[in-house]
Amino acid sequence: MGEKNNNGMVWLIILFVLLGVLISFQMKLNIDDYDLVTLKNLQTMKNDSNNMRKEIEDLKGLIENRKKELAKLESVIKDDEGDISIHLMDEIKKLKLIAGLDDAQGPGIMLLIDDNQEEEIVGWGIEDDIVHDADIQVILNDLRKAGAEAISINGQRVMSKSEVKCGGSIIRVNGRSSAPPFVIKAIGDPKLLYAAISAPNTYGWIMKEVRLLRFEAMTKDNISVPKYYWAEQDFKYSKQKEEGE
Amino acid sequence: MNDIKSKIAIVLVCILLGLILAVQFKTVENNLGTGVIPTQRAQQLAIDYKRIQDERDRLRNELDNVESKLKQYEKGEVEKDVYLENLYKDIEKYRNLAGYEDVKGPGITIEINDPPVEIIFGGASSAIVDNYEYILQIIGVLNATEAEAISINDQRYTSFTEIVIAAGHLEINGVSCGPPFIIKAIGKADDLENSLRIKHGLIWRMENMLNLDIHIKQEQSIIIPKYKKIKEFRYAKPVEEITN
Repeated sequence: MGEKNNNGMVWLIILFVLLGVLISFQMKLNIDDYDLVTLKNLQTMKNDSNNMRKEIEDLKGLIENRKKELAKLESVIKDDEGDISIHLMDEIKKLKLIAGLDDAQGPGIMLLIDDNQEEEIVGWGIEDDIVHDADIQVILNDLRKAGAEAISINGQRVMSKSEVKCGGSIIRVNGRSSAPPFVIKAIGDPKLLYAAISAPNTYGWIMKEVRLLRFEAMTKDNISVPKYYWAEQDFKYSKQKEEGE
Repeated sequence: MNDIKSKIAIVLVCILLGLILAVQFKTVENNLGTGVIPTQRAQQLAIDYKRIQDERDRLRNELDNVESKLKQYEKGEVEKDVYLENLYKDIEKYRNLAGYEDVKGPGITIEINDPPVEIIFGGASSAIVDNYEYILQIIGVLNATEAEAISINDQRYTSFTEIVIAAGHLEINGVSCGPPFIIKAIGKADDLENSLRIKHGLIWRMENMLNLDIHIKQEQSIIIPKYKKIKEFRYAKPVEEITN
């Protein structure tokens, strides 16, 4: 009897060993098939690829443009009668518009933002009732997201180097003080711009509906944005990077 | 008697083994399950990604070549005439203002890191990405201190630059950037740093309320790259063109 029992045990052991080996094979197979790529990673990668595709399109167009310019310039140089100043003037005109040194006009929206006018404090505190520089900055960013081409605040063109900064009861833009109400004008696709600041849950909507600030937006067929008054035209600190550096 | 006892023991052990295996499989599935895609597809994506990246870099190079050639021609031509030379100087100035030139100069770099992992509560989201308004505010302060050029993760900050949250990253100039964010600014380095560092100011709030890890360095020579997108206005027109 003892003999027979032992025999059975040996078989069992062999079977279990076999089971273990098989299971480990199975698991190995599984792990080979899958890798730790999370959906978030994947999403980022996809976004990146899409952006890069867009950039490639942009770059192709840009190269095309530049090559045309180059060809034009070459023909002007070869031709003794040709005048390069026309080419330079064209370039200046284009750059001035894009850099914001020209008055611009086109379709867009007009925005009026003011502090909460109620006598009593409506929000959680007085902080919520007044317009801050940070609020304006977020609104400007939202407008740029919607493709705004030219923006001004109370008649001051907003440039890359325009500060929007709190100075007590006023906000400084381009070194000039502006007091509320703030009138922001933006040129671009009016529908997109309007949606960017008044669709539910956008920052503009929260300012209007939750913080109860005075916040009026209207689309306009034609709006003009003044040019930037470039008072101090020298760059004191930045130098052009030389070729090959 | 003995035989039955040992058989029962083996049955019990087998049941236990089964349970453990089931639990093991379930946990593996739970941990990896939803977020996992077959390696092959991930690899395919990675290959595509690389290919697109290569093409983009190639095109960027080509653009640089064409542009430097164009510049050479222009420069060679304008040196012959004072009037033209002045025009060209204007062009360079406008390009600088619009952000179409690489520039270098003294200034500061600000590095913003997410808080160390232990401090984050819940979720894998990034504190600085969720509170990107602070980046806008930093730029506001830098501009108020007369910074001449600003970039975020090597994306030039222009008057069209937008910052958008997308899938846990920030898209700046349409390029997605993740933390750490490195903001560079050219200007008077002392002033730039001090205006950010005022008592209970912006940096203090970011460090103490969001637990961000921020380093500011003053440097003698910072290079800020140019804006690399085409900007063609579709809506805005110069005023005189319409009145004519």
